[in-house]
Amino acid sequence: MAGTDRVSLSDALSNVDVLDELPLPDEQPCIEAQPCSVVYQANFDTNFEDRNGFVTGIAKYIEEATVHASLNELLEEGQEHAVMLYTWRCCSRAIPQPKSNEQPNRVEIYEKTVEVLAPEVNKLLNFMYFQKKAIERFFEEVKRLCHTEKRKDFVSEAYLLTLGKFINMFAVLDELKNMKSSVKNDYSTYRRAAQFLKVMSDSQTLQESQNLSMFLATQNKIRDAVKENLERISGYEELLADVVNICVHMFETKMYLTPSEKHMLVKVMGFGLFLMDSELCNINKLDQKKKLRLDRIDRIFKNLEVVPLFGDMQIAPFNYIKRSKHFDPSKWPLSSSNTPSPQADLMVHLPQIRDDHVKYISELARYSNEVTTTYKESGTDAENKETAELALRGLQLLSEWTSVVTELYSWKLLHPTDHHQNKECPQEAEEYERATRYNYSDEEKFALIEVIAMIKGLQVLMARMETVFTDAIRRNIYAELQDFVQIILREPLRKAIKNKKDLIRSIIMSVRETCADWQRGVEPTQDPALRGKKDDNGFNVKVPRRNVGPSSTQLYMVRTMLESLIADKSGGKRTLRKDIDGQYLMQIDQFHKTSFYWNYLLSFSESLQQCCDLSQLWYREFYLEMTMGRRINKCTVRHAHNEECNDLITMEKRIQFPIDMSMPWILTDHILKTKEPSMMEYVLYPLDLYNDSALYALTIFRKQFLYDEVEAEVNLCFDQFVYKLSEQIFAYYKQLAASIFLDKRFRVECAALGAYLLPYPRANRYETLLKQRHVQLLGRSIDLNKLITQRINTDMQKSLDLAISKFEGGDITGVMELEGLLQVNRLCHKLLSKWLALDDFDSMYREANHNVLAPYGRITLHVFWELNYDFLPNYVYNAATNRFTKYRGQIAFAGAVHRDKPPQMSHHYMWGSKQLNLAYTTQYGQYSGFVGPQHFHTMCKLLGYQGIAVVMEELLKIVKSLIQGNLLQFTKTLMEVMPKQCKLPRYDYGSPGVLSYYHAQLNDIVQYPDARTELFHNFREFGNIILFCLLMEQALSQEEVCDLLQAAPFQNILPRPFCKEGEKPETKQKRLEAKYAALQIVPNIEKLGTAKQSLISKEGDLLTRERLCCGLSIFEVVLNRLRTFLDDSVWVGPPPANGVMNVDECTEFHRLWSALQFVYCIPVSENEYTVEEMFGEGLHWAGCTMIVLLDQQRRFEALDFCYHILRVQRVDMKDEIVKGISLKRMVDRIRRFQVLNSQIFAILNKFLKSSENDELSVEHVRCFPPPVYPMNPQQHYHAPEHLRQC
Amino acid sequence: MAAPRGETVPKPIQQDWVNREYIEVITVSIKKITDFLNSFDLSCRSKLAVLNEKLTTLERKIDYLEACVTKGETLT
Repeated sequence: MAGTDRVSLSDALSNVDVLDELPLPDEQPCIEAQPCSVVYQANFDTNFEDRNGFVTGIAKYIEEATVHASLNELLEEGQEHAVMLYTWRCCSRAIPQPKSNEQPNRVEIYEKTVEVLAPEVNKLLNFMYFQKKAIERFFEEVKRLCHTEKRKDFVSEAYLLTLGKFINMFAVLDELKNMKSSVKNDYSTYRRAAQFLKVMSDSQTLQESQNLSMFLATQNKIRDAVKENLERISGYEELLADVVNICVHMFETKMYLTPSEKHMLVKVMGFGLFLMDSELCNINKLDQKKKLRLDRIDRIFKNLEVVPLFGDMQIAPFNYIKRSKHFDPSKWPLSSSNTPSPQADLMVHLPQIRDDHVKYISELARYSNEVTTTYKESGTDAENKETAELALRGLQLLSEWTSVVTELYSWKLLHPTDHHQNKECPQEAEEYERATRYNYSDEEKFALIEVIAMIKGLQVLMARMETVFTDAIRRNIYAELQDFVQIILREPLRKAIKNKKDLIRSIIMSVRETCADWQRGVEPTQDPALRGKKDDNGFNVKVPRRNVGPSSTQLYMVRTMLESLIADKSGGKRTLRKDIDGQYLMQIDQFHKTSFYWNYLLSFSESLQQCCDLSQLWYREFYLEMTMGRRINKCTVRHAHNEECNDLITMEKRIQFPIDMSMPWILTDHILKTKEPSMMEYVLYPLDLYNDSALYALTIFRKQFLYDEVEAEVNLCFDQFVYKLSEQIFAYYKQLAASIFLDKRFRVECAALGAYLLPYPRANRYETLLKQRHVQLLGRSIDLNKLITQRINTDMQKSLDLAISKFEGGDITGVMELEGLLQVNRLCHKLLSKWLALDDFDSMYREANHNVLAPYGRITLHVFWELNYDFLPNYVYNAATNRFTKYRGQIAFAGAVHRDKPPQMSHHYMWGSKQLNLAYTTQYGQYSGFVGPQHFHTMCKLLGYQGIAVVMEELLKIVKSLIQGNLLQFTKTLMEVMPKQCKLPRYDYGSPGVLSYYHAQLNDIVQYPDARTELFHNFREFGNIILFCLLMEQALSQEEVCDLLQAAPFQNILPRPFCKEGEKPETKQKRLEAKYAALQIVPNIEKLGTAKQSLISKEGDLLTRERLCCGLSIFEVVLNRLRTFLDDSVWVGPPPANGVMNVDECTEFHRLWSALQFVYCIPVSENEYTVEEMFGEGLHWAGCTMIVLLDQQRRFEALDFCYHILRVQRVDMKDEIVKGISLKRMVDRIRRFQVLNSQIFAILNKFLKSSENDELSVEHVRCFPPPVYPMNPQQHYHAPEHLRQC
Repeated sequence: MAAPRGETVPKPIQQDWVNREYIEVITVSIKKITDFLNSFDLSCRSKLAVLNEKLTTLERKIDYLEACVTKGETLT
């Protein structure tokens, strides 16, 4: 686009039209108030500046327009002064006061005081002069209108209304001046300083200062001055009665649009009546003369007991009446009664509001669809009229709802609660708190939120259709105006000309000339109506159509001139009404009524904004002013209080209220607190009140500090909002995940037992909130989704961290709960990830597990820690249950275990809620008493290959130190005390004999004190390690099999199909393979992916396939490693003397184990613990493993002492008490352990001998030459070396 | 009021209608441009938010991976 190119208007316009066709999708649901970065409002209100252009109008009304213009300017100025007073913050309190006359810097202080306050005081001076000027001007106007001649003439509606606005302005300014004590304080501070410095030297300034001082100090000064002035005018009460009546009329016929206009009307009624009632005039008499209708006003005052005066200042209009001279309660039955005003009860309005809302919204939706789907240059007149009416109805609805909200708020401000009415309200609650925080019931808060949401929601919808609406509005207004002026007015004009009614004719002509837009550019002079004749054949008026409305002055002129035609209230003078036919009167009247709203419609965007303005719900200057002085914060430091403490009190005075007392936050927080699903989507609407307030601070109040305060509050509230919201979203999804994860049967049984278990969390509409990526707040655009994501990421991380911490705070059985918690968190993460871009769960898990930088995570380390310090020394294995249980006897073999206490955490970091925590704790409590297959499975899952490897490696180190340390030492010691030879006694001795033989032989071992404790404990630790490795591998294999099964379909491993007779399995198999071809990873990646991807997939596939195929076994490796630890000669002893094997010699380990077996087979008395109880089967596992690894199994089985006793006892079946040992019981024990031993041997051999095949084992057999018959009969056995020598 | 009517006097009013219609056309167009800018703004914001989210995710992933990789370096 070159800057020099000229673009024609039509090109430019079509360019603009093209913009419409660009698709601009916004993917978030709209749940916030009108978001707009750029606001464009064209204001065509000229304030009668263009009045001189309408020379064709009646001169009187052009003059009146001039008056209006200047009065409007005064009103505007008055508004500025009101703002100045309302937003006045006490300056003097911040200014240091000289404490004594001797203070050296007091001159400086005074100088600064004057310097600082002078511009402020100047504003007050201006205010004083303004009110004087305004009162004088008002007096002049009223005097002029009350002139006896003038009284006969008609005063236009617009004029009366402007006078009403003046009355309202006086009331507001007077109340504000009365209320603001800080203004007076500041001025007196200034005055004191100024007098000290003698700034005001000349008498005029002094007088001025005196006047200002008096003006500020006198209560009701403005009100009294107005009243005084008015009373000097004779007949003023009649004019005021007109003003009051027009207000009543407009109020009753809803001739207003914005809530502030509505409230203004009521205030004017109250203050107007107050001004009228005086010595000279009694309003009750006026009522009797039907000049006033007090009964109607009474009803209005009852329905609207309290109206906003300015900001958070409220006023009860009826109070003006009560203060008036001739107040007669009997005239005011409704207002004097104590029944509550309907204004105080939002709930009565709510059903109607809801109904209206639904109806209007659906109508709007239908219309909006029609507009967007069909393209039309411009609608027909009827369509435009309908659309314009729709727009007006929308504005009126919005205004009505806004009124309901502000009126309720006003009423509540003037009727604060206390601790009697509201139990939640503390006795010492401050004023503002009682007016806001404690003054609304839950129901009312919800209703308020709902209505606010309706207002803001409809505002968005209407604003979106603004161009469509305004187009229709302008076309409609143009058409109606021109049709009325060019066609309808022809008839009365014809009649007036015919009947020579010059006045009417000239008025109608003026109307025509002021605003007619003729088809041909000029008035059709040949129109027969202009000659008072009937229409000739063929003459008809063609009215053009345009897309523009009348200008504001033009509309005023037309309306006022027409009003003069139909007015019937000009005192005594004959009206023009009777010269116009009834039907035309009706039409003119109708036009006058309809056209009242045109100004609002023509400035649609402005009207829409004003109708939805709820900014005053935040402002609290009045309450701040009141609280300033009263809030007493005592010096809290403990000491003897002195003068300085008083200063402290002043310093701590309230500057702003906390957010808990602020309406927008009260409403927002209410949704967050109750978590009400139907309200959740409304949560952004109450926050929008801050937008309203900030806009008001910037555009109307124009005060930086107010904006700053709004901003500060928004910053605080929004942080709170995001914090609370994300916390509850996280808790909600955690609860949902935990509820889904909770065992269904558990749930059913809980219900059957009547145990209280929370049902699934109530579905809430957080999704809509989570989709919000741009929320408009004070001109900033906030990515709510991002903020929540950040917080929930942290929560998730913390949740995982706490789960692991909890595990770290407990014993090894906690793995079950840890696994459960991780799964619930994973599910929760999955649910949340649908809406939020959370970090990868596995990354989070690794981070929580401290497994990103370190090779082993916290879980692995804790598992190992627990194994080492708790599991190995304290747990007792039992093969019957396949479980380890904790040894609970008194003898402690290991030191007490100290663990860090798990940190305190809120419920949502665990399972989501208190009930769920309880349910899950109960469930996982079942796993806390033992360590069994479930635990091993879980440990496999949590540790993974790497973790298992490292744990086992560490365990092997422990075993090594055990074998080569304690066990070796014990073995060496005990081998010393073993009998050198211990034969298998003959059967002839009988079992008691054999027992007593062994008992005697092994007495040293039996008596050895540490055997039953320390030694066995060491063996138990060793055995537990072996068992741990074995069980871990079992669990791991099962997990792997599951993995493989799950992977099978993707690897083209399909179950063999069932074949009927005659069917070929191969073809069936082929067909299946073809059917599931899409699932197979490797060929698909090869086909579709890159070479690298295909390589990776192949490797992965290979890894999965081969994992179990080569039959690798951890346990076998462990056993082989263990074998290498048994390298000391003491385990095997010296080589057998006979060169074959030791029979009677006790040099090998298995002999020692036999001795130990003898020890533990001796039955114990009732009060003693058996070895099974104390050490479990780990003991046997340790012994048997060592025997197998030392290749001593056969010898052990053949030569064991106990087994021999058993064999002998089986033959003789004797039962005696031998040396205090019950033979029978002993034999029973031996039998039991024999079975156990052989089971253990079988398992071990399964692993150790699996790789040896039979042929190889044959080769290992050592072949001995056939025995030579004994040459030396004394010798029981022959030494082989001797044999060879022979 | 008695001044001759018709040809001379109403012209300014007539012209005013034309002028105001022209101004209205311009105003409406500006309004349309404003509306466009606002919806363009919203649309862009939501798109940029999505983009930002993706970049943040990638950035966090890179941080994580970097941490994983440096583990190897510090150990050797």
